[in-house]
Amino acid sequence: MTPWTPRLSVSAGLLLLSLAGSSAAQSSSSRRGSIVIVTGEQPTMPIPTMMEGAAGTQGNLELADQLFCRLAGLGPTLLTAGDRGFVPLLARSWTRRDSVTLAFDLDPRARWQDGVPVTARDVVFTFERARNPSIAPRLVALLRRITSVTAEGERRVVFRFSEPYAEQLYDATFHAAPLPAHLLDTIPPERLARSSFVTHPVGSGPYRLVRTVAGQFVELAANQDFFLGRPKIGRVIIRVASDPDARINLLLSGQADAIDNVIPPLDNLHRIKRDTSLRLIPVPSPSVGFLLFNQRDPADPAAPHPVLSDLRVRRAITLGLDRHLLVHAVFGSYAEVPYGPVSSILWIRNGAPKARRQDVEEARQLLAAAGWRDSDSDGIRDRAGQRLQLSLLLPTTSAVRRKLAVLIQEQLRQIGLALELQQLEFPLWIERRTGGKFDIDFAGTIQDPSPSGLTQAWSCTGGTNVAKYCNPRVDSLLDVAIRGQPKENPGQPWFAALRQIEDDAPATFLYAPFYVYAVKRHYRNVSIMPASSWLLLREWSDSR
Amino acid sequence: MTPALTALQEAWRKPQGRAGAALLLVVVVSAVVGPWFLPDPLAQPDILAGSRPPGLGHPFGTDQLSRDILARVVAGARVSLSVALLAVGLSATIGAAVGLISGYLGGLVDAGLMRLVDGALAIPRLFILLLVLAVWERVPLLALVILIGATGWFATSRLVRGEVLRLREETYVRAAEALGAARRHIILRHLLPNTLGPLLVAATLGVGDVILLEAGLSFLGLGVQPPTPSWGSMVLDSREVLVSAPWAGIFPGLAIVITVLSANLFGDALRDAVDPRSA
Amino acid sequence: MSGWLLRRALQAVLVLAIALTILFFLMRASPGDPLARATEDHPISPAELAVLRARYGLDQPVSRQFVSFVAGLVRGELGVSIEYARPVTALLAERLPATLLLGGSVLVLNFTLGLWLGVRQAVRRGQREDRWLTAVSLVGYATPSFWLGLVLAWFVGIKLRLLPAAGMQDPLLSWEAGTAARALDVLRHLVLPVLTLSIVSIAATMRYQRTAMLEILQLPYMMTARAKGLPEREVIWRHGWRNALFPVITLFGLWLPILVTGSVFVEAVFAWPGLGSLAAAAVWGRDYPLLMGASLLVAGLVVAGGFLTDIAYALLDPRVRLA
Repeated sequence: MTPWTPRLSVSAGLLLLSLAGSSAAQSSSSRRGSIVIVTGEQPTMPIPTMMEGAAGTQGNLELADQLFCRLAGLGPTLLTAGDRGFVPLLARSWTRRDSVTLAFDLDPRARWQDGVPVTARDVVFTFERARNPSIAPRLVALLRRITSVTAEGERRVVFRFSEPYAEQLYDATFHAAPLPAHLLDTIPPERLARSSFVTHPVGSGPYRLVRTVAGQFVELAANQDFFLGRPKIGRVIIRVASDPDARINLLLSGQADAIDNVIPPLDNLHRIKRDTSLRLIPVPSPSVGFLLFNQRDPADPAAPHPVLSDLRVRRAITLGLDRHLLVHAVFGSYAEVPYGPVSSILWIRNGAPKARRQDVEEARQLLAAAGWRDSDSDGIRDRAGQRLQLSLLLPTTSAVRRKLAVLIQEQLRQIGLALELQQLEFPLWIERRTGGKFDIDFAGTIQDPSPSGLTQAWSCTGGTNVAKYCNPRVDSLLDVAIRGQPKENPGQPWFAALRQIEDDAPATFLYAPFYVYAVKRHYRNVSIMPASSWLLLREWSDSR
Repeated sequence: MTPALTALQEAWRKPQGRAGAALLLVVVVSAVVGPWFLPDPLAQPDILAGSRPPGLGHPFGTDQLSRDILARVVAGARVSLSVALLAVGLSATIGAAVGLISGYLGGLVDAGLMRLVDGALAIPRLFILLLVLAVWERVPLLALVILIGATGWFATSRLVRGEVLRLREETYVRAAEALGAARRHIILRHLLPNTLGPLLVAATLGVGDVILLEAGLSFLGLGVQPPTPSWGSMVLDSREVLVSAPWAGIFPGLAIVITVLSANLFGDALRDAVDPRSA
Repeated sequence: MSGWLLRRALQAVLVLAIALTILFFLMRASPGDPLARATEDHPISPAELAVLRARYGLDQPVSRQFVSFVAGLVRGELGVSIEYARPVTALLAERLPATLLLGGSVLVLNFTLGLWLGVRQAVRRGQREDRWLTAVSLVGYATPSFWLGLVLAWFVGIKLRLLPAAGMQDPLLSWEAGTAARALDVLRHLVLPVLTLSIVSIAATMRYQRTAMLEILQLPYMMTARAKGLPEREVIWRHGWRNALFPVITLFGLWLPILVTGSVFVEAVFAWPGLGSLAAAAVWGRDYPLLMGASLLVAGLVVAGGFLTDIAYALLDPRVRLA
């Protein structure tokens, strides 16, 4: 008999209790005037023009928003077309000189965090870097219609464009926030990634990067001299947890004060609603999910797809699914069924037609008309000895898609279509889809606020058009919409393009969700900027 | 082969062994017969109602897609049990063989085999399996079982070898050698029965490991794809509703535990039966 | 003995080299492209892709990539991570302390508590305590670690608010507090992840120790020792336990790599900034340089584990010949 058993357990218990008790030692006063935000990825490169490739993460982009001010920001309507509706930031005002020239006047109060004033030279320098293909290939593509950026004096910058189009101001302000030329012009671009500027950036924004603790958190301090007003919350911690359950736990245990997306799963919503210290804020999200039909035969890309090249089959799948039910099952009331590939942050969503409801009868008729009938009564249609069987490709990284896939599988079984699921590891999924080796791909995109991004996936020459969908009419409609000058109805030309896409049914558009943010109630004047979460953090205050 | 049969008979005679085997039999029988009496495991009658707690009509409750959990646990038994038992059987056999040979023969054979094991342990299993997936678009379940079994014996071999290193110095082994017994005889009759201890522990624990491994692999595209249920993937999927619908994970988890327990009971009995010296 | 040690050490290095070489080529043969993520959300043209590939040396033939990897290794560099654009050695060094803390604590707990409980079970074989511990340990082992972790995090961290639910330290604390307060803070965060990982692994240690001890207890020399009138405690621990250690030592050698791999599930659920989650992310990001670096560490520990195990066998039982 070992007499030390009771002693051991008692001392272990005491140790644990003392550890637990020491939590009380942390006074809440040390937390006043601070906020802990929980996010999924550690931002390691929040520097404009450097967020290329693997560094183009949402985390980096959002942190860059706090450190570096843009010339002008998107307004609450998120309208990207035209010159109005933007919020002055580094640029106090702008004038349009002609259909291809914009002049920005910088705010004389704007300063870098080391005290040096922001000048036109900084903007010119930044765009030199941004339009350099060996530094920023992604930006080069986005800024391709800017032909020159020149300084007129200390505070005026003139942008010239290659042609008139609606989003000139957007292109000039959104993609690249100015960098401090006086600190960076001596560092060659290749060396910038390893320089100390990345770990201790000097920006023009409302917050300053204080320190980074790898894999754990990033700490920001308020820029006391921010020209648009000192942020009331002095200390911001961006806490990193890659696992969604860990993030929710941090929030519910009081270790974090705000989180950028609570759902899915819908479960979290209920848990957070029960915590009265938290407030839920739905915000439009740039995410959109759809079932993409491969127009080509996966075995032979030169030939059309044996089943899906028939428009009737594609329409039947869209009509056979109860998309509203699916969306409600996964997102509750926090998502819509989109008309066309339109996420909830695209301004063209307003006034767009509504998505069609389920019509099982019409779906069945379409399939029968296409020659698919259930001749052997096994519940699955067939034609000339071939079963109506398709495979659905999806990445395992998306819990939403995994859940929806099973529901979709069952719904399609009801109209006699056998859907086989193929869930794959992310890189493998990418490889299969870019190689065109799929029947249906469960795709999801994160869209920029500008609808011109639609050309990437839905125009004949689009870079992400893995299904090889091509309708020249859509291309020209999109072109007209992009060039169009906004008048009374800026959305109109876009609706025409969307209508054509819906008619062609290259995909079944499933969900355009909202993000549901959760923030502790003791924060006041809280507003969340779609597609840029915490951009307006500088206006929040802590009432503790 | 007769010593093996006698061992099994002996194990069956012990109450533990009977309990373990009986438990396993119950699970297997319900897996085979159950689906006739139970609702369709794939049916999603009422998606919006989501997960319902255990009650009338659904003894184990329903999961988030409103599917009956009892039906799914029973249906999942087929996949999980077969994968677990076959794969573990394979790795236990290979591991024991390698460990015995390596430990007893020593010298270059030992060095070679153990360095091979070292190297294999250093390479993550995942890559090998992913490579397989790249070559084979859809990996059939049997192939997956063989793969898991073929890549899971390394630890077992080291455990068995450790025991053999100790045992081969025992007097009865030395005696047998002195009498000129064949090496195979010594290994099978003297060493193997005494290494059954750690071997059976490894096998028992391996059963639980493999069930969960299979789920992780189907997550990556290997093994069964949804909606075919397997215990491991049911547990993985239940993660979302851990707090609000714990039954979704508890029941498949219980099934796994019961399987492991019964394997353990039977294994203990087997070892007792074989080891001439245990009480 | 020293001749054997030298041979063993050389073998270890050889195995390491071969394993890493195989791994290098295996990685690149596996499907999936490191730059896949880059092209997914924000598509880029082939020209831009070429720029990125050149930047990471991915446009070179695999053999040339291997040569530069080895050259870098000799210089003590492990290349630059594709995902983080930072030197791999820096990334690994940053995460190593957290992983060592977690893995080390688990190993210590395992090979003290686990051994002790296993021996207790064997001594009290068939009694209630033995049966209970068997059931508990098997349930503990068969429970998936993420499930256990989430339940503990929910119960202890959220419901009872006794300990933090996730993370390694309190970011708001560290700035102003002294070393003692910081250490205590980390300790508080350490409890739940260690508990989760330990419950699962101690079960295994207990089973092995119990089984091995049972065998030893039956042996005639144990009866002799008792007959000599020695106190029971000495009989068990001094005379018996030594020989029941073999499987446990093997286990220790097998688990040594946990010092750097940690546990992917536990690290994820508790947001513990360890190497395990870094390596797992590197796997699906196909971040080759980071993966090779992490694999080097793991392989090193695997080989070292085997090496130490053999030495321990010889030390423990002088009869053992290791040729």
